[in-house]
Amino acid sequence: MKLFKFIFSAVLFILLSSSAATAYIGLCCAHCGGNMPLNIMGGGIPETHEYRFKISEMYMSMDGLRDGTDEKSTSDLGPSTAAGKFRGVPKSMDSYMTMLGGAYSFTDNFAAMIMGGYVRNTMSMTTTAGDYDMFSQGLTDTKLIGKYRFYHDDNLAPTKQLSVVGGLAVPTGRITIKNTNHPTKTMRGKLLPLGMQPGSGTWDPILGLTFQKSADPFWMGANFITTQRWGLNDQDYKKGSEYALDLYVMRQFNEKALASFQLNGKAWGDYSDEPKTGKENGDCHAMLNSTREWMTPLCDPTNYGGVNLHATVGMQFQPVPLHVAELNLSLPLYQNLNGPQLQSDFMLRLTYYLEVPTKKSRRYKGFSAPKQLGF
Amino acid sequence: MNAIKYYLLTFIFLQILIPISVLGHEDSFAKMGVVSPKNEKIAPNFILETVTGEKISLKDFKGKAVLINFWATWCQPCKNELPSMQRIYEILGSEGVEVIAISIDRNKKERVEQYIKNYNLTFPILLDPSQKVRKDYFILGLPTSYLIGSDGKLKGFISGAREWDSNDSKEMFSTLMRLQ
Repeated sequence: MKLFKFIFSAVLFILLSSSAATAYIGLCCAHCGGNMPLNIMGGGIPETHEYRFKISEMYMSMDGLRDGTDEKSTSDLGPSTAAGKFRGVPKSMDSYMTMLGGAYSFTDNFAAMIMGGYVRNTMSMTTTAGDYDMFSQGLTDTKLIGKYRFYHDDNLAPTKQLSVVGGLAVPTGRITIKNTNHPTKTMRGKLLPLGMQPGSGTWDPILGLTFQKSADPFWMGANFITTQRWGLNDQDYKKGSEYALDLYVMRQFNEKALASFQLNGKAWGDYSDEPKTGKENGDCHAMLNSTREWMTPLCDPTNYGGVNLHATVGMQFQPVPLHVAELNLSLPLYQNLNGPQLQSDFMLRLTYYLEVPTKKSRRYKGFSAPKQLGF
Repeated sequence: MNAIKYYLLTFIFLQILIPISVLGHEDSFAKMGVVSPKNEKIAPNFILETVTGEKISLKDFKGKAVLINFWATWCQPCKNELPSMQRIYEILGSEGVEVIAISIDRNKKERVEQYIKNYNLTFPILLDPSQKVRKDYFILGLPTSYLIGSDGKLKGFISGAREWDSNDSKEMFSTLMRLQ
């Protein structure tokens, strides 16, 4: 929460200190052609010497279970104390995530970004002790990212651009949130299963490559990004590495609006182990005995990861200069999960993006007259 | 002796008049955010086509004060200033001010044509799909405009959109027409 307050205060400070630099917005972008959907990591690069702030609210619905590509019913897995069954089985999950991001472009080709979020997960469970909602909330990990454009065919209106992304995920999210509302009193205060923890607990490198193409009135591109998980956290486990490939096409159909379509592919690995605390206390095992079977499929570190493909449709609006809003809806096309685990149902995301030019911005001071022509 | 007095008075008069005229020029240009050249150079010549295929050269306008504006259909501030460019063309066109707008859109002739129709533009709109002229004029942002004097030399650089039919703009064009 402290980090959230800090980010909010920093954003407010920059906004107030930049207010003197009332932007001269009668100038079009310095490197147009770089428009990307705002939900893609690295999308929405500010103009040179400008800040941009992004706040987005995402709702993700997960409903039903899946093992591989096959859907499973809850009754296939439990709740039951019989062998091969689980004492608790997830039915669905509602996840709300508020994300804050800030970025600054130091040059035409290099921008630095920071992104963090606050997540609230409610998982509907059915257990041998009755149904209940498992709940967790907290900060997610914070991503620090640099994006460097190493190729473009034209600075003002490029038709092709290539950029590399490099960064670090900082473990600001907790990994030791405990169960507070289990129907069995003895289960309260026990560590929540792996997937309910909002953080990874590890410092993870982020690497990516972005290709952007513009053919007015279309923008299209591909964005590949991976978060590598190499080290163990202080609970002696690590999350699986993540790989995401986003393909997008955007079409401007109005001076102030454009529509987008995306294919979002993702592959991610399972957890390396159960948490140290859980292993010692048997938190996620039947009878709280670590030699016994898993209490729910959520406890098994191998029941995570998989491959999925979503289709996303979106609309982006720029009602007034410097303000952009975007709405995206994602639906799953294909899911192959290391299951059984909850499958994706749909995802809705609303993003608001604010551009804040500084006094060094070209939109404030204009472009320099060319020396070559005698100026 | 009288001749010496005459030359001396003329010299003093010119010493006063020249700075006033220079200051006047700088003032009317400054109000419109015009950057004046350190060394006046001949504006790079070009031959470009209009949407109807007519070829137009910058040389065709020699002897006139010219406003060259670079724009694109995807540039909102560019579109915002087109109506005021049309109005100033209607007001000062007959007095020797020429307005030329060069679209840097790549292969968007139909859309440029649509804008000409929508905004009732009667001044020459030229197409630079290869971006050659844009590069010759070192255009890094849009809209960008240049003022060219009747001697064919560059007199000013303007970055960003303007209200071209404002009083300040009229004063600027009036000064431009006087500059040699």
